Amino acid sequence: MALPLPPGLTPAEVAFLCEMELVTVIPRQKLDSLHLLGGPVPVLQPPLRNNVPLWLALLLKKQRRANIVPPPWLNVESLSAILDHETERAPEDFSPPPKLPPIGDESSIISPPFLPTSTADGQPNALPYHWMELGEILLEAASDDFEDVDQVRRLLRDLREARLAKLRSGIDALDSGGGKPMNGIGGMEVAEGRSFICGVIDSLRKIGAAKEMAKREREDEDRTGYQGTADDEDEDMDMLR
Amino acid sequence: MSYYDVDAILTDAQKVPCTFEITVPGLGYLEGNPGNDIKQGAKLELPLWLGEMLAVSRNASEESNLTLDLPKCLSAHVVNALKADARTVELRALAPHFYALGARILDLFEDEELSSVLSESFKKRAREIADQAHNSGRSLGDAADFLRGLDEEERQLFRTAHESTKAVRVWMSELKKA
Repeated sequence: MALPLPPGLTPAEVAFLCEMELVTVIPRQKLDSLHLLGGPVPVLQPPLRNNVPLWLALLLKKQRRANIVPPPWLNVESLSAILDHETERAPEDFSPPPKLPPIGDESSIISPPFLPTSTADGQPNALPYHWMELGEILLEAASDDFEDVDQVRRLLRDLREARLAKLRSGIDALDSGGGKPMNGIGGMEVAEGRSFICGVIDSLRKIGAAKEMAKREREDEDRTGYQGTADDEDEDMDMLR
Repeated sequence: MSYYDVDAILTDAQKVPCTFEITVPGLGYLEGNPGNDIKQGAKLELPLWLGEMLAVSRNASEESNLTLDLPKCLSAHVVNALKADARTVELRALAPHFYALGARILDLFEDEELSSVLSESFKKRAREIADQAHNSGRSLGDAADFLRGLDEEERQLFRTAHESTKAVRVWMSELKKA
């Protein structure tokens, strides 16, 4: 009996992974360094800002022991700019992900959630991998730390719709050999689109199987035919000699 | 295609038109007149698994037993309709497992055009399915009208797309509750 879950991660699992992302907090109380499996959490000393994992930030926020600084991409200005990029300037592509740190840096961590993309000094004009879940979680848990909650929420929703529509229209390009660049797509979007896209690809492959087979056979024939003529030429050369 | 795949079995059970090349004694009950023979040239609708087996095999005198014809749901009429506007064709009325049947037929007949028409229309319709699955309401019941025209594979696709959209929506509403 198969596990009754679809392939890939469920939204709750993606959100769980997202909770490892580092966010910036402004502590209201002093908190000693915590020694966790993922490394020590820095000493929290008000009013100094510090980066802590999202799950700890949420816990501290709930206990009113810290405020969360929203990441620089999660405000009206940045989100409007990204939305404009998505809909007007590059209506075919997803907006590019944040820049990776230069290779050869001493910290050779180049994948989320270990990149500080959502801390206060993250890149303001790019959506990180966990943008959707991080945005939703922060808007829900720390809405009083935002300047214009409703506007941010509306922009997030618009972005999500715009990008999902793009993801869906991408199936036109899917065929044997075709592809669609999905650079900059987020974790939750993958979780949402995976089953549909996999289903389409599977079905298209089934429909095209016979054609593909015929093509391969023809190519094989062509190749053997070519070798045949090559052999003939060799023989001719031999005869000439 | 797995041995226990119900959809594969149902696909094989769909009927295709066949023409008998030989006279078969005592097989008249297939035509509806038991006790008689099936004459050479008789046209019958046989399940795909039976028709395929008889068409591919050879009898003792090295002739084929029957020839398969293109089923009605893949006739030029339907292909033209699919070419014109794939989204409006009610595939389910033609064959419940339209694409699976199409794929099996393409294994037997080499038809580049049919193959590309099928995959093109699948893509066009899949786009429509994605939009519907994303925008239809909370239950599958709202989409019943739309589902009526879809073949079994498309329904499956609709269901998975709808499920994943719903999963994200559920996650978001649980976030609000917590």
